[in-house]
Amino acid sequence: MEGMMPPPIRRIVVDEPATVVAAPAATSQTNGSTPSHSSPVSVTAPRRRAASLAGGIERMATHDLSILYGDKAAVKNVSLPVRQGEVLALIGPSGCGKTTLLRSLNRLVELTATASRQGRITLDGQDIDALEVTQLRRRVSMVFQQPNPFPMSVFDNVAYALREQARKRPRKSELGPAVADALQRAGLYDEVAADLAHPALRLSGGQQQRLCIARSLAAGPEVLLLDEPCSALDPGSTEIIEDLIVRLREEVAVVIVTHNLQQAYRIADHVGFMYLGELVEYGPAEQIFGSPQEQRTQEYVSGAFG
Amino acid sequence: MSAPPLTKFARSPRRSGESQDRRTELVLGVLACGVLALVAGMVIFVFAKAWPSFSHNGLKWFGPGGDVGAQLQAIFNSPADPANYVYLLRAWPLIYATILVTASSVALALAFAVLSAIFIVEFAPNRLRRILEPTVRLLAAVPSVIYGLIGVLVLVPLVGNHLITRAQKESVIFVVQLTGNSLLVAVIVLTIMITPIMIAIIVDALRSVPNGWKEGAAALGVNRWRVMWTIVVRSARPAIIAAAVLATARALGEAIMLAMVAGSVAFSPNPLDGPTFFLEPIQPLASTIVINAEGLTVVPFGQTLYAFAAVLLVSAAGLSLCGYAAKQPLKRYGIRA
Repeated sequence: MEGMMPPPIRRIVVDEPATVVAAPAATSQTNGSTPSHSSPVSVTAPRRRAASLAGGIERMATHDLSILYGDKAAVKNVSLPVRQGEVLALIGPSGCGKTTLLRSLNRLVELTATASRQGRITLDGQDIDALEVTQLRRRVSMVFQQPNPFPMSVFDNVAYALREQARKRPRKSELGPAVADALQRAGLYDEVAADLAHPALRLSGGQQQRLCIARSLAAGPEVLLLDEPCSALDPGSTEIIEDLIVRLREEVAVVIVTHNLQQAYRIADHVGFMYLGELVEYGPAEQIFGSPQEQRTQEYVSGAFG
Repeated sequence: MSAPPLTKFARSPRRSGESQDRRTELVLGVLACGVLALVAGMVIFVFAKAWPSFSHNGLKWFGPGGDVGAQLQAIFNSPADPANYVYLLRAWPLIYATILVTASSVALALAFAVLSAIFIVEFAPNRLRRILEPTVRLLAAVPSVIYGLIGVLVLVPLVGNHLITRAQKESVIFVVQLTGNSLLVAVIVLTIMITPIMIAIIVDALRSVPNGWKEGAAALGVNRWRVMWTIVVRSARPAIIAAAVLATARALGEAIMLAMVAGSVAFSPNPLDGPTFFLEPIQPLASTIVINAEGLTVVPFGQTLYAFAAVLLVSAAGLSLCGYAAKQPLKRYGIRA
């Protein structure tokens, strides 16, 4: 690897307004935590969590995973662990395969007709191909970049997965507590409790995204995949969702794809940096942002390209 | 010094911006109003012509009583003296036949169309889909008389010779003759006739459901059939209603085909007859008009036919209103209706 030239890097002027997104987080309280590592110049945001929960058990892992669209490889030979009780952030420039990798974890990538996969993915040591795909997706749920609540009431959105999982259609009163619990965990309950029959599509963007998270949580997942969940949201909603993600990692393993380095630094325990389909570097967030081992990682997190 | 000559554009007011818009507005307005006036005129004309038939019978016009065929014959043979015109008519068997054949075939076609559309959109392999879709659109354009021809040449003899038993024929021999021209054949042919257009509309509707909703449901561990049924079909309901309304309108107005296969005997099939019910002949309103069109010159008879037309017109209008009303509650959740 040492002798190989790194792939050509597209140097562009870093889009400063994109960094500005982090501003509200910088003004928010940091709950007394202080960064223990010196962070790179461009990443000034405080960490949102007290400390990494060390030594979480490994829930999912990819082994030499490659995803191809037709002949074109979008993900190349990626081996990556996903641990319980931590937030794993995937960062990297556009088109580097982050989202494809994420979508392969619950086999959503198979909805694309041309996609094919090489390598193995395991969930709790079991190959995910051995699981029924619906079972897999119940255990490994996903929240998308664009909030996509169904055109139903708030209640029906959260109850959707519960109703689909039930053997016979449960009554509304039976679902009530579970729906309220999921909304509570997603931090939306207080805002919508007064009117659960409210049409979901009339909520604000941030509320819609939290509703989507609540909808996923109601299904009782073990791993939660988040594909740039804040990119379509305003700073205020972003902050709420980041707090939520940090709280959620205690219950489920969280994998988040983000374009926002500050966000990754604020919430991630481990970070994987991807570039042109390869996993360039994987390690604790402090390492990736503080003292990256690879030159390309160093250049990316310091804003040399993006 | 004289002023410089105006430019070419300034001198041709015909093409200058705003005045052209005004002319366009005027012309299009006149055209639109003209169409509206034509329709309104037609409705008024039909009702004016139909009025004597309604006024002589009152609300009983819509009720049962006697043999409609014989009543129509009496009206046709009424004396030339306007004072002695015969108007007596109890049109229930015709209305009943219309409702029966329309409702059954629309219900059947709706089920077929929704399921076929789900197959085409979600489950069909690409190659099959590329054949199916144009075929469906082609079938939607086949003239109804061709369906009628196939019905009368193939299905009617088939039902008449093989499906109807001697015992069944004898059981109703004093009431009606079972020939194969029947409610069953009418419903089958009508269903085949209106299903393609419904499939075409519903396929477009299912396809326009945002992909994000489908992926969101799939990511919750729901299989493809349930995603289609609980999310895609659910949010396409307005378009499905629209397809059903369109198909119902076509079924209501279908005359030639039904005249060919339904038997043209103004008879009310009796559900108490058991399976024989489906084998009894019927005569819907639209077919009645077509079959008797040559009698239009007899004044009271013509007025009676106009009365049938008026009933069809009102049902079509009512149908549109029902479709509109059915879509309203769906708007609440942001489904584009």
